Amino acid sequence: MSTLNIGVSGLNAASIGLATTSHNIANASTPGYNRQVIVQATNTPVLTGSGFIGQGTNVETVKRVYDQYLSQQVLTAQTGASEMDGYYQQISQIDNILGDSSAGLSSAMSDFFNGIQSVTSDPSSISARQSMLSTAQSLVARFQSLNGRMAEIRDGVNSQITSEAASISSYASQIADVNRQILLSQAGSPTQQPNDLLDQRDQLIADLNKEVQVSTVTQSDGTMSVFFGNGQPLVVGTDAYSLTSGPAASDSGKIVVKLKAPGGTTMEIPESQITGGTLGGLISFRNDSLDSAQNALGRIAISLTQTFNAQHELGQDLTGALGGAFFSVGNPAVLASSLNSTPALPALPASISASFSASAASQLTTSDYRLSYSGGTYTLTRLSDNQSWTGGSAAAVATAANQGFDLSLTGTIANGDSFKIEPTRTGASSISVAITDARNIAAAAPMTTAAALANTGTGSISAGAVTSVANLPVVGTPITLTYSSATGSFSGFPVGSTVSVTPQGGTATLYTIAAATDPVTYVTGATISFNGMSVVISGSPSDKDKFVIQRNVNGVSDNRNAVALGALQAAHTMAGGTASYVDAYAQLVSDIGNKTREVKALGASQQALADSAVATQQSMSGVNLDEEGANLIRYQQAYQASAKMIDIASKLFDSILALG
Amino acid sequence: MRISTSMIFAAGVADINRQMADTVKLQQQIAAKKRIINPSDDPVAAAQALQVQQAKDTNDQYATNIKYANSALGLESGYLSNVNDVFGRLKELVVQAGDGTLTPSQRSGIAVELRARFDGLLAIANSKDASGQYIFSGYMGDTTPFTGTVDTGVKYQGDDGQRQLQISASHLIATSDSGQEVFGRIPNGNGTFSATYGSNLALPPPFPLPAPPLPPNIGTGSVGGTTVTDPAVWKAPTSGSYSIQFSVSGGVTTYQIYDGATPLLATPGAYTSGQSIELQKTTAPAVDFGASVTVTGTPANGDTFVVSPSTSQSLFATLANLIHAVEGTGTTAADVARYQTDVKNAGIDLENARVNIVQADAALGGRMNEVDTVSSINSSVDLQYQQTLSNLQDLDMVKALTDLTSKQTQLDAAQKSFVSTSKLSLFNYL
Repeated sequence: MSTLNIGVSGLNAASIGLATTSHNIANASTPGYNRQVIVQATNTPVLTGSGFIGQGTNVETVKRVYDQYLSQQVLTAQTGASEMDGYYQQISQIDNILGDSSAGLSSAMSDFFNGIQSVTSDPSSISARQSMLSTAQSLVARFQSLNGRMAEIRDGVNSQITSEAASISSYASQIADVNRQILLSQAGSPTQQPNDLLDQRDQLIADLNKEVQVSTVTQSDGTMSVFFGNGQPLVVGTDAYSLTSGPAASDSGKIVVKLKAPGGTTMEIPESQITGGTLGGLISFRNDSLDSAQNALGRIAISLTQTFNAQHELGQDLTGALGGAFFSVGNPAVLASSLNSTPALPALPASISASFSASAASQLTTSDYRLSYSGGTYTLTRLSDNQSWTGGSAAAVATAANQGFDLSLTGTIANGDSFKIEPTRTGASSISVAITDARNIAAAAPMTTAAALANTGTGSISAGAVTSVANLPVVGTPITLTYSSATGSFSGFPVGSTVSVTPQGGTATLYTIAAATDPVTYVTGATISFNGMSVVISGSPSDKDKFVIQRNVNGVSDNRNAVALGALQAAHTMAGGTASYVDAYAQLVSDIGNKTREVKALGASQQALADSAVATQQSMSGVNLDEEGANLIRYQQAYQASAKMIDIASKLFDSILALG
Repeated sequence: MRISTSMIFAAGVADINRQMADTVKLQQQIAAKKRIINPSDDPVAAAQALQVQQAKDTNDQYATNIKYANSALGLESGYLSNVNDVFGRLKELVVQAGDGTLTPSQRSGIAVELRARFDGLLAIANSKDASGQYIFSGYMGDTTPFTGTVDTGVKYQGDDGQRQLQISASHLIATSDSGQEVFGRIPNGNGTFSATYGSNLALPPPFPLPAPPLPPNIGTGSVGGTTVTDPAVWKAPTSGSYSIQFSVSGGVTTYQIYDGATPLLATPGAYTSGQSIELQKTTAPAVDFGASVTVTGTPANGDTFVVSPSTSQSLFATLANLIHAVEGTGTTAADVARYQTDVKNAGIDLENARVNIVQADAALGGRMNEVDTVSSINSSVDLQYQQTLSNLQDLDMVKALTDLTSKQTQLDAAQKSFVSTSKLSLFNYL
């Protein structure tokens, strides 16, 4: 009978072998599938007088070809590659916008300054002025469209974070589900591995790991706990936590990830703790590139507005009025943290407002800031590098920091309250042209100078420059400076003014004018400044020679202020006086270009790493159809041989029966 | 090494994808003829290209400004040479008018032409540029620079502004001159002082002078050449003018020089017609003023001549003076003497005006040269920018096309090898 039994055991084993091979072939392209092999062993032999007689075979287990170490390698490399890929998907959009030279800022900026030059060539021409206004409109539109694209990208990142949170939650609950099944299936036979469930769970973890980097711990009961970030649990045994998304406490416009425990409490996860995977890529893109790119664009808009307006307001328009603001731009955004305390009535909650500081316009950075209050001390922190300043009031700390904006605070502030300040974020969206009438472009300077016709000396006076319009002479009331050869000085300066005389390359001498007859010593070629105006008188004036400084009336062909406005194109008005507008823009382009390149290269190297880890892992665990084909033949032949054995055993039995 | 079937497919597809991406990138570059499609292709060059492009755009704008400057300067220069042409005729008219034997009708013929020339010059001074702006009104391009007539006097209505254009980053060029500078601010006399006749006054002349009308000189003395022998010691009169008063006593004509009411000569000088009178102070302390005037003819007792420091006198004022003199109808010897002084002074002042305009024109020529120099620099700078941009951005076509061909070969090979590798299967034989 043993031949029959042995034949049956061989038949069974070959049948399991065939089933396993078929399973392998069927799952050759199932993601995460590890090929399975049967572990075959001989049955316990029977001791007889003739020695141990073999009892056939059995299949001890079907095991999957799996290496924990290789799988971990794949996970680590893959999460890095996904992070870089997520980052790259986003930043390459900005890279594309900036790459298009016709859609970039610099061509619109050039056009605008060319528009100014047209006004310079023909300041009284309404059509030249109109064309400057329309180039200004296009420049503003360019700022807004670039900013609009970035805002779209930000919206995209926000909604992607929301869907990432949802898909991570879904993976977590699926993993918890598989854990449960594994627990159940192992309860019956603790020594046998539920290979396909394990594969399924490993695949879910690999997929989850592409979204965010996770770490796993296998428990003794066969379940696997999953953690992410700084040890935040995502799956513990058969319980899944879920991720939700929502506005950050410090910034309601920013969608962040929150962890929701099975009990239902949610907790905002600090962004610094989320690394790896697409989610990690999105978050670092938003913090490292998108914020600074949008801020950099906003900063150019703000600097342009401030410096251009400052010069424009020193000029005079076609109607003879002093220049007003040419551009307008919104104030820095200040966001109160939603965690700030609300004081009991009637005290008002602290409200803080920020404005751009005219004197420190060039000090603006592309960073955001946080103002916090604790124990009577205000701390302003620059978020890009965590540099901080402290002071006794919000205004004082802003002044001490000298970052190009001022703060003023009203209401009651409580310990621990904080505000986020985004000085430049909205710059590019809020810039607009404040002038609608082309005649209001201030191309002229508001003052003119003249040497009196009756002068007998050779003294001449320069056209003059204006640095402040607060104390210009009144129309019709010229300031007449009269030279006295006896004292070698001029008199006739406005009473109450301070006159400074600065020889070329020399130091200024100051005169305080108490009476119109007060003399100011004449130095040939020296710059004479008073009441926000400066002129240069040179040559040898004769006694009683007169020089007149007066408001510019009907100076429609005067282009002095337009020339000064045009000079702003190359002036270093930004980044602490080291960069012009286009320099700042070029820096933005190069920053984004460099980061894109870096992310792309990092992504490629991470992907190569992941590919090679996958290759190693696949080389061990992947299905080779040829191999399975060979196995098919092997098990088929084994099956056929076992069947033949049964046939022989049957024939043997028949021959015994035939004896009778 | 063991190979899994899915690896064959995954690796094959990944390879083909990579090759395809490279090919597409090359194709993009070739289509755009640019090396940099996105800033990330070469961030440093992309940023630099932006700055160079901006500099090039600005330079292009300067080239436009240079054209504007050239046309503005050329226009002004054209008008100034028109003025210069008129001066040729004016000079002839002054010579004609200087003939003392002219009859009033002959003089009035000259006067008619002078008036016509006056109007012609006024029209030139009030000319406009192509965009309708007055050329000579300074900043006040909409304001007629010179208004008035021979009889009311012409007044300058503009200002002293000089319009300027930026023709390079460091170069502002003046593209206009104010009418005041060209036609108005012209020193009369010899540039230091001018001399003319005064009135017949009591001896010594009262100071300050009584209200006009004052009696004119009676004698035939006329004042002619004024000379500055030493500009360094020239001393302007403290009262505003020197008067030279003649006294005829006993057939002897002497003169005394007054600064206001103060006589300057210790002893009156003896007068000889045509001999220069030194302007000096001989009372203690003696001062030589470094200048002299020449009086010819026979001054009468009490006749005065006035020496005043030069002051600005517009071309139109000079012409109006001349016209009024030529239109004078007096025929007495004293009238003729005054007439001759007027015509002579007008001749001097017209020459001053001519010199002033020639100087303005020369300055214009200088500025046009400057513009030309800047213009040639501008073009060569433009070329440099273009070259820099090309170096930064442009694609090396030959290299790109070679690369494309080699990529295509590689892609082709990858595809073929993939197909043949994936065909290998044991199942083909089962």
